[in-house]
Amino acid sequence: MTAPQTKQQAAITLQGVSKSFGKVAVLKSLDLVVEHGAIHGLVGLNGSGKTTTLDCILGLRPIDSGAISVLDLPPSHLYRAEGRVVAIFDTPSLHTHLSVRQALEHARLLLPNPERDVDEVMSLLEINRYANYKVRSLSLGNRRRASIAHALLGNPELILLDEPFNGLDAGGVDEVLELISRFNREFGMSFLLSSHQLPYLQTICTHLSVLHEGRIAVSGSVESLLAATSARVEITTPQCEAAQELLATMSGLSIERIINNVLHIVLQGAKPAEINRKLIESGIEVEELVHGQASLNTVFREHTSDTPTSIASRGAL
Amino acid sequence: MNAFISALRAELFVAVRSLGTRLLVLAPVSLAAIQLLFSALGESGAQAQKALLGSDPLEVASSGYGYWVDALVTGFIALGLLCVASAAHSFAAERDLGSLRHSVIRRVSRTNLVISKLLSLYLLTATSLIVLIFGSWWLSTMLFELGPVVEDGYELISEGEILKEIHLGLQLAALPLPAAIAFGLMLSILAQSATQALTLALGLTLSFDVFKTSLGDTAAYFYATFQPSLIDASYLGDVARLARGYSDVLIDDRLLQLNYWAPLPTFLICLALSLVVVRRKTL
Repeated sequence: MTAPQTKQQAAITLQGVSKSFGKVAVLKSLDLVVEHGAIHGLVGLNGSGKTTTLDCILGLRPIDSGAISVLDLPPSHLYRAEGRVVAIFDTPSLHTHLSVRQALEHARLLLPNPERDVDEVMSLLEINRYANYKVRSLSLGNRRRASIAHALLGNPELILLDEPFNGLDAGGVDEVLELISRFNREFGMSFLLSSHQLPYLQTICTHLSVLHEGRIAVSGSVESLLAATSARVEITTPQCEAAQELLATMSGLSIERIINNVLHIVLQGAKPAEINRKLIESGIEVEELVHGQASLNTVFREHTSDTPTSIASRGAL
Repeated sequence: MNAFISALRAELFVAVRSLGTRLLVLAPVSLAAIQLLFSALGESGAQAQKALLGSDPLEVASSGYGYWVDALVTGFIALGLLCVASAAHSFAAERDLGSLRHSVIRRVSRTNLVISKLLSLYLLTATSLIVLIFGSWWLSTMLFELGPVVEDGYELISEGEILKEIHLGLQLAALPLPAAIAFGLMLSILAQSATQALTLALGLTLSFDVFKTSLGDTAAYFYATFQPSLIDASYLGDVARLARGYSDVLIDDRLLQLNYWAPLPTFLICLALSLVVVRRKTL
């Protein structure tokens, strides 16, 4: 878990936040800290409560108990931040009967001191050619670009994004990743991103929290999480027992589990090549050896699953 | 205050660009115009018949004001229903779309959000009312001769008297509109979706008319509060008779008082409930 932060350091603080829908407890005394200037990823399985967490932070959904502070404001008074906090939702929520330009002009009316004009943000997102198109006539990807342009009008301090990569093509994802990095680097904007796309998050996030069963299972800087996560090797062999006996004599590894002739091994210093060589030298047939580097996928799997899953299938999270 | 003004400007920015607003502003006057055109056609037919058959020497020459008031009644019925429908659609539709969330996060408190929506609906209704009154009056002057009621060359009811009663009728018909709008908005906030809000608002409003016989005295309260133009004894409807030479038109004092005073507490109750509910509502 992240070390406790002072209020001045944290852009968002959640302490013991609980939220239920009827008898179903979605958030169970959830604690979360998002530091100023961080790009913080929030990941979790479907239905784990990521969107509910974001809604509670934004004051859109009342909480049952606990405390939330966003830029030192309670969520119910977030409007007092006067545009310093903005959100981009999983479904682009702009007025569909307006043109892109009108939707952005409308958003500008709500800001006390808009930092950027409509043309500037449209250029940033490369949606100038759609300026006079109705929002409803845009593709999902371009609607998402318009939503991001909508959020950038006021030079916010904190941006919350719910599934920001949904509906974007590969080029669009790269643009969004680049924009997030750039705005974080140049303007010190803080981001809280909820997403399933761990490979994308790994490229930009400075911090990550894994939400599981209504609680934060693990949270911290991406660096520290990766450092604390062991690499793994999966070895498929018809001589499982012999392999197990041999590996038990080696240091720097531990056998986590054996399922269907596959040994799941956690590396604690041992090298996969060394393991492979020893097995071959002992005459043990190795059908397949898969080496999984520590990644956010590994971190995620470790904290959301009780059973080991195939390394090969982890990329498809 | 600045945040409230921004919210109101943002509301109006969206409203003036929506089809619903165009309908709210133009439908009442269009229906009134259609009514006037049909009346003019009927009047021409009646005059042609008189020319053929010869006129009754005791007939009262009614004023064209009667047709104008008929058109106003039609316009008011449409306006009342459209106001309730627009109010019911406003909040719920934006919540369905998700656009409300941006306002609440960026700058507008939930209280200001409700009040700015209400105020923007009032401004649009006032515009619609002005367009209805002046549009139908202009068309009436084109199609009919507006003047006093004359019988055998004697002025039965002067033009000033007719205009005074039309003014009162319009006032009584317009007074409940704010309460009707607040009622629609309250349902919009309470409902789970725009479809539910719209169905509920129009269903309840029209059910007042369907059940008027079984509602007894309560019917007068509902009509006076929400839809006086729908009431059979609408004073605006009576004014149309007055402009045709029926001098026995009298307004029921009880209904007059209800019409003056019932909308205010209803408006306040609807507004208070809206403000209480919106504070805990998931947006």
